[in-house]
Amino acid sequence: MKLLPTCREVRERLTDYSEGSLSLRERASLRMHLLLCTACSTFYRGLRALPGVARFLLKPEQPPPAEATQALEGALRRLGGHHR
Amino acid sequence: MNESELIVQAAAGDSDAFGALVTPHLGLFFNGILRILGNRADAQDALQEALLGIFEDLPSFQARSRFSSWAYKVCINAALMFRRSSARLREDSMDALTGLGEFDGAGHHLDTPAALSWSVAAEALDEAERRQLRECLVQALDQLPDPLRVVFVLKDLEDWSTEAIAARLDQTPPTVRQRLHRARVRVQEALRAHVQGRPA
Repeated sequence: MKLLPTCREVRERLTDYSEGSLSLRERASLRMHLLLCTACSTFYRGLRALPGVARFLLKPEQPPPAEATQALEGALRRLGGHHR
Repeated sequence: MNESELIVQAAAGDSDAFGALVTPHLGLFFNGILRILGNRADAQDALQEALLGIFEDLPSFQARSRFSSWAYKVCINAALMFRRSSARLREDSMDALTGLGEFDGAGHHLDTPAALSWSVAAEALDEAERRQLRECLVQALDQLPDPLRVVFVLKDLEDWSTEAIAARLDQTPPTVRQRLHRARVRVQEALRAHVQGRPA
């Protein structure tokens, strides 16, 4: 039986690792691999950074795009000056 | 009129007040819907439906939460409903987990061990480079099969729990985690290749 998982095995399971869904044994061996392997720990740092980077890059467009304005115009037309 | 007054007027059926109420948030609403649907024309249609839903539900809006947060949730739900009714779900190449890097026969990496994390390098980009990175990210998201993209968006952009995503999409949590991982790996690979100047 292998003492530590391979790089491929580690990289396939990093989301399970970060979500805490691995067994204690799997978690410990993966953590040990990350401590010893610079490339996999760099890969993991990138995965962990991804949500923050993505949220930052995808901030809403200002002013709103034409499609958004057209959607509002369409909605208001369908309301047709509706009053409850 | 301030936002509270606009809410009261719009809830009473004043469509002009409703337009004034939602206009400052249109970019936010459209952005959230677009991320899930991945198509601007669909996002426009879904936003229109969402706005009508917001108008209808406004009398039940509780001022305990911010209007924009409440309305944004309505938009995300509208996008998920729209997606469900769309026949264009892309399932292609879902099984291939690419972007993990290159490995030798024993499963160990062939990367340069000291390679700088792309996310660290990304912090040093100037404004023009960030715009290019944003385009790269948008393209990477658009190229994800729909089941992967929606999980990535709900988890990593909208901060839903894995359990909530599983319940909403009628999947198991392990399936959600697997799809999330595949999406993250693909998106990270696209960004890494862009930042480090190598093709994905």
